[in-house]
Amino acid sequence: MSHSNSSAKVSFTDISLAEYTLDTLPLLKQLRLGLLAEKPEVCIERARHYTKSLESAPEDQSSELRYANAAKYFLSRKTPLFFDDNRLAGTTGSKPFCAPVYPEWTGLTIWPELDTISNREKNPLKLTREAADELNFKIYPYWMDRNILEYTRKKHGNPKSMRIFERIVFFLATKAGCISHTIPCYTLALEKGVEYIIEDAASKEAALINSGDRDGETLKKIDFYKAVQIAMEGVIAYAQNLSREASRLADRETDPDRAENYRQMAEVCGQVPAKPARTFREAVNALWLIQVAIHAENINMAMSPGRLDQILYRYYRADMDRGDLTVEAAMELVGCLWLKLNDNTNLVPETAEELFGGAGTVPAVTVGGVDEEGEDAVNDLTYIMLRVTELLKTRDPSLNARFHYEKNSVEYRDRIAQVIVNTKAVPAYLNDVTNIQVLKEQGTEEKDARDYAVIGCVELGVPGRSYDASSSIMLNLVSVLELALNNGKRPVTGDEQIGPVTGEPVNFETYDQFWGAFKTQFTWLAGKAVELNELFGRAYQEILPSPLLSSFFEGPMETGRDLISGGARYNSSGATHIGFADTVDSLNAIQQAVFVDKKCTFAELKAALEADFKGYEALHAYLVKRAPKYGTDNDIAKENSQKVIRFLYDFYQRHVNYRGGKYRPGYWTMTNHAGQGKLAGALPNGRKAHQVFASGITPVSQAAEALTTSLRMIAELESKCIASGEALNYKFPSVPDREEVAALGQVVEAYCRQGGLHIQFNIMSYEDLIRAKEAPDDYPELLVRVSGYSAYFKDLNPAMKDEIITRTAYDIKTGRAVPFPEAYKEMMSNQ
Amino acid sequence: MLKEIFESFDSEITEEFLELLLNAMGLFFVFSREFRRQIEGFEGRYLFRSRDGGITISTVFKDGKMKVKEKEISNTDIIISFKNAKALRDFIFSPKPDILGSILRQDVVVDGNLNYMYKFAYMAKRLQLMATGQV
Repeated sequence: MSHSNSSAKVSFTDISLAEYTLDTLPLLKQLRLGLLAEKPEVCIERARHYTKSLESAPEDQSSELRYANAAKYFLSRKTPLFFDDNRLAGTTGSKPFCAPVYPEWTGLTIWPELDTISNREKNPLKLTREAADELNFKIYPYWMDRNILEYTRKKHGNPKSMRIFERIVFFLATKAGCISHTIPCYTLALEKGVEYIIEDAASKEAALINSGDRDGETLKKIDFYKAVQIAMEGVIAYAQNLSREASRLADRETDPDRAENYRQMAEVCGQVPAKPARTFREAVNALWLIQVAIHAENINMAMSPGRLDQILYRYYRADMDRGDLTVEAAMELVGCLWLKLNDNTNLVPETAEELFGGAGTVPAVTVGGVDEEGEDAVNDLTYIMLRVTELLKTRDPSLNARFHYEKNSVEYRDRIAQVIVNTKAVPAYLNDVTNIQVLKEQGTEEKDARDYAVIGCVELGVPGRSYDASSSIMLNLVSVLELALNNGKRPVTGDEQIGPVTGEPVNFETYDQFWGAFKTQFTWLAGKAVELNELFGRAYQEILPSPLLSSFFEGPMETGRDLISGGARYNSSGATHIGFADTVDSLNAIQQAVFVDKKCTFAELKAALEADFKGYEALHAYLVKRAPKYGTDNDIAKENSQKVIRFLYDFYQRHVNYRGGKYRPGYWTMTNHAGQGKLAGALPNGRKAHQVFASGITPVSQAAEALTTSLRMIAELESKCIASGEALNYKFPSVPDREEVAALGQVVEAYCRQGGLHIQFNIMSYEDLIRAKEAPDDYPELLVRVSGYSAYFKDLNPAMKDEIITRTAYDIKTGRAVPFPEAYKEMMSNQ
Repeated sequence: MLKEIFESFDSEITEEFLELLLNAMGLFFVFSREFRRQIEGFEGRYLFRSRDGGITISTVFKDGKMKVKEKEISNTDIIISFKNAKALRDFIFSPKPDILGSILRQDVVVDGNLNYMYKFAYMAKRLQLMATGQV
């Protein structure tokens, strides 16, 4: 076993930074309490200004210029606000904790709730009467026929793929809600300033004009470079307005510390992001301002800042070397950024809480791993960010720790484990060796692959170089299984013929015939999902470009093409799958029960499913206890899990998207495994009707008895076939001491060495979680890992809570599953 | 009278639910200037129909007026097909419009521009709140 020694970039003797606590960092303590006390409010500022700008835009203006002008119009009018004593200037919205309205996407979905949203039962959002009226009478009417969903529907005559999507139970075409899901590159803006980007775009525009070419392609490029300049002017205008307001507040402030903070923010915003960052504070604030600006143009969902310990390190190091910065001050600034990243949430209609309840905006921060040369990249800031995460325990940012078992130290590996134990949930581990290889197999150059970061939940991207639209499709794999079981129909959609006719399984003589039906149904359904994603993609190209976001990517600036038109160096579309483990276990059960053991006929199995196993208790017990389970070393289970992974990969890789990149499959589910589970009938693996599915790529709860075996089985899945990431959730009731923390680190390392991609943990017992469900007020800040992101347990819907409660818990000492409490067995999906 | 009708929507539902709702809407558009604002400048063509074919009602908003006809119309912005009056009530009225439940039971199927459904649902809810003195 080889491990590097600690990196030369680590100067701490105590990497846990235990001497720094919330008591020694009172500002962070105060800001954190303020954040947790805030109730979210609907913010219409962005919707108001964008609508006004677009309403008055000339009809014949290109979409690039229309959107750039709208960005500038909004950003230059965006109210400069300072809600608390945070060291960083800039706010996502006009409220301390805001849910911005994006009418181009899902902003109209709360229309029916305008009078009730403030008091709704689940996750209420405050909305003033004036704001509700403005949405109802001024903003929404403009967008009724213009948002991306309706534009696409109208253009293509309400295609079948869209009507299938709108049934909710087959797949979600998430471009109706956003693309976002990407990692810009902040480095250039920090090093050279936004003014440099404007000059660069201006010179490229001038060169094209001087070339004399006037073909359509050239004119489009000219418009793109113009658009970049316009949008960037908006970014600078916002910072200047903040600077002026901070100066004004400083002059009026009687508290000397607060006045000094205003003065410093005024100075910082006078410099960045327009000009290069000169200090750590300027770099952190510039990064935050760009993050705010990006959300002017694209919805606040999984816009991920990337490898912050790498991006900010040079500024930290330089300040420390000059003696201008202390570790305490650096921690304070990092903490201020973490809290700022929590200043916004998603605008979600009440019914959508069933599918996505509790999710934050998932801006993923990635730390650690190796650098572009393949060397240990862990530095002081890595440990500062881990410590700040450990102290603040906030939902966002979603922290991901890259781990390279040959280059990173054991101390680093175990420090991550310690933070997980102390927060009970974060960060997630990402295996550098496998992830870098996966990206290389997708055509990413090695240097770029080594610089990967996480997008949103678990997807992999290269900051500022790849545009991955990693959440384009969320396909319900169980719906494919049910279509195959019912000759192209599903219990939830009744007698309607949805998929192709693949034959009645009662007439199948071999398991291969059923597998063939499954493949046919999948090919048809995923084909529809891809088809709709392509229609949406083309619609974006026509009406929703992203010149502001494109400015923070290498490719678009070189080629004069917006990200949405394929300007990025690497392009892909992600399709993730819901119900993987339940589907595989159901395939296993069919193969074993019907064709190997001949325990029942297919007709009897189908009758049992239709009856939700009532009257079929003996068969149900056999399916639950004896049928092969994914996550064990049963040969049938191994073969079926690998077959499904490979088949899906081959399907997606055959499809090239509207930007010229391939489709990539992934296995992460947010909370959809709970929502979609509620809409599915009983399954051959013994899961009862309307129960939750297993999350991500995790085995079905209580199916895999041995920790090391289940991890090995998952690690042995062909990693290159999981190119859009996986979410693997494991649970330990407790990790009581240093020895067990090291054991957790060793478990992770063994899993990584066997080829796993990702793993995350909840450190909670069944009983703790049951108590938290029964008495939510006693656990207001309990943080849990869902499927690639964290949520406050209290915010989740009941089905999702049950899924997290029933996830298999393993004893860290014995590696065996802990028995689920008898008194609560009815929570299990197969009871 | 209207107050009782709307309060009854929270409890028992009759097959006349949609008719009652649309009639109440029409009345309020005539008598309430505030409510009439909801359809100033708005054009929308709706078709509501029950799955058994027993109910077919179209509603057209144009020139600040609302017209209701007991027949199908063409060029609709949205078609709302529903199993029965209760299903439609559950679908339209918050709290809580039971969308997932509606889908699970195949109670309501919507075909067309969803934003028109959102606007109609808002107006219906607004009307209920006005009629019952909650706004």
